[in-house]
Amino acid sequence: MRDFLGNIGSAAGLLLAGVCRLFGLGVRILAVSVQGSPTKRGARREAFVRQMVLCGFDSLPIICLVACSMGMVLALQGAYQLKQFGAVMYTGSLVSVSVARELGPLMASIVIAGRIGARMAAELGTMKVQEEVDALTTMGIDPVRFLVVPRCLALCVMLPCLVIVTDAVAILGGFVIGVMSVGINPDLYLAKSFDALVLKDIYTGLAKSFLFALLIGLVSCHQGLSVQGGADEVGRATTQAVVTSIVLIIVVDCLATAIFYYALPT
Amino acid sequence: MSPSIIQVKKLSKSFGDRLVLNGINLVIPEGKITVIMGGSGGGKSTLLRHMVGLTKPDAGSIEIEREDIVRLAPEKMNDVRRKFGMLFQGSALFNSMSVFENVALPLREHTDLSDEIILIIVKVKLELVGLTGFEDFLPHQLSGGMRKRVALARAIALDPKIVFYDEPGAGLDPITASMIDQLILDLSQKLQITSVVVTHEMQSAFRIADQIVMLHKGKVLEVGRPEDIKTSSNPFVQQFIKGEHEGAIPFRQTREAYLKGLLET
Ligand SMILES: Nc1ncnc2c1ncn2[C@@H]1O[C@H](COP(=O)(O)OP(=O)(O)OP(=O)(O)O)[C@@H](O)[C@H]1O
Ligand SMILES: [Mg+2]
Repeated sequence: MRDFLGNIGSAAGLLLAGVCRLFGLGVRILAVSVQGSPTKRGARREAFVRQMVLCGFDSLPIICLVACSMGMVLALQGAYQLKQFGAVMYTGSLVSVSVARELGPLMASIVIAGRIGARMAAELGTMKVQEEVDALTTMGIDPVRFLVVPRCLALCVMLPCLVIVTDAVAILGGFVIGVMSVGINPDLYLAKSFDALVLKDIYTGLAKSFLFALLIGLVSCHQGLSVQGGADEVGRATTQAVVTSIVLIIVVDCLATAIFYYALPT
Repeated sequence: MSPSIIQVKKLSKSFGDRLVLNGINLVIPEGKITVIMGGSGGGKSTLLRHMVGLTKPDAGSIEIEREDIVRLAPEKMNDVRRKFGMLFQGSALFNSMSVFENVALPLREHTDLSDEIILIIVKVKLELVGLTGFEDFLPHQLSGGMRKRVALARAIALDPKIVFYDEPGAGLDPITASMIDQLILDLSQKLQITSVVVTHEMQSAFRIADQIVMLHKGKVLEVGRPEDIKTSSNPFVQQFIKGEHEGAIPFRQTREAYLKGLLET
C-alpha cells in the first residue's frame, strides 16, 4: 500500500517536474521571440519558411486523405443513426458541427504530432547526440532561438491552417457520401451543413488547434533537446514525444471544450 | 611568459562516482599555443568543454580575461563565447547544412556583413584548410578528415581570440596534419590568436607547442615548455613521450593484479 502510494507520489512528482520543464521551455521561447535579435532577420526567416513548408504544405496530402475519410465515415454512420429518427437530412449538420468543433482539430493535430512531432524530436535528438547543439552553444547561438523557435512558430501558424483544410475536406467528404450514397438532395445537404455551423464552432476549433500546435512543438523539442547518450535515446525521445503529445492533446481538448462550451458564457 | 588569458583554478568534475577532473590548476598564456596531452579517457575533452562553458564543474573556477565563466549569467556567457572558436573532436558539423552554410553560420549570426563579403570570407577560410571547391557538399559527403577541416574553418570563421582544438590532427594523413599544424602556428604567430590544442601526436605537439600540459587521471602531471617536458624526469611523462606500452603506466597488468581485478568486480 505504502509502495503504491509512493509510486503514485513519485509519478505525480515526475509529471509535475515535466510540466515545469515544458513551461520553462515555453517561457524561454517567449522571451527569445519577444526580444528577437536585431541582426540577421533574413536567415531566421529562411529557417521559419522552411519549417512552414515542411509542416504545412508537405502535410497536405495526408491531411486531406485523413479528413476525407473521416467526413465520409461520419456521414455514413450519422445517416444510419439519424434514419431511425427520420432525420437523415441533418446528416450535413452533424458532420459539419462535429468536424469543426472537435474532430478536425483533433485529427489534424494527431496526424501532425505523428508526422512533425516525431520528426522534430528525432532531428533535435540526433543533433544533440552529435554535439551539434553544443557547437551552436559554443558559437554563442542560443539553441532555443535557433532551433526551437522557428519550429514552434511554424507549427503554431500552420496547424490552424491545416485545420481549416481538414474541416473543408471533411465536409466535402461527408457531402459526397451524403449525396451519392445516402441520397440527400445536394442543396439541402449544403444548406443544413452551413445552417448548423456558427462562427464559434470555427474559432474555438482554431483556438484549440493553436494550443495543440504549441503542445506538439514544446513537447517534441523538449524531448529532442533532452536526449543524452546515443541512438536508442533518440528512439526513446521520439516515441515519448509522439505519445506525450497525443495524450496531452486529448486531455487538453477535453479541458478546452469544457471551458469553451460550459464555463464561458455563450 | 606573456600575460595569461585563461586561468583554471582547482577545477573538479565527476560523472557519477568517477572523478574525471581532480583539482586542475592551469594558466593559458595569451597569444601562445598550449598543448594538452594525456591518455585516452584522461579528461582532456572534458577540460575543454569546461573552458568553453558547456559543462559546469562541481568545484573550482575558470577565468577568461578575468571573468569567471562558471558563475556568469547565460546572456553574458554568449558575449564571452564570441571570443572563441572550438573544434570538436567529432567535428560536430550541422548535417543539414552545406559546407558553405556551416562556415557562414557564425558570420551570419554575429555580424552584419553582406552576403558577398561572407562568401569571400568563407572561401578564404576554406582555402586555408585546403578545401576550395567543396562549398556545396553536405557533411555526409565528405571524409572524416575533410569534415574536421571544415569544422576548423568554421571555428576560425569569426577570427576569434582563442581557439580550442580537440585533436585537430586525428584521422588526417601526415601531410594534411602538418598543414593544420602550420595553420595553427600561423594563426598564433601572425594574428596572436591563443590556441589550446588537445593532441596525441607527439611530433606535432613538440613542433607547435609553447607550453605543454600533461594530464593524467584528472590531474595536471606536468606543465612546461616542450624542452622541459622532453627532459622531464617524471616516468609517466617519459613513457608517454616515447609511446612505450611498458613503464610507469602498466598496460598489461601482472598476473596477480589481473586476478585481483577480476575478483574485486
Ligand atoms: N557526459 C558524460 N557522462 C559520463 N561520463 C563522461 C561524460 N563525458 C566524459 N565522461 C567520462 O570522462 C572521462 C574523460 O572523458 P574525455 O572525453 O574528457 O576523455 P579524453 O581525455 O578526451 O579522451 P580521448 O583522448 O579518448 O578523447 C571518460 O572516462 C569518460 O567516460
Ligand atoms: Mg577527447
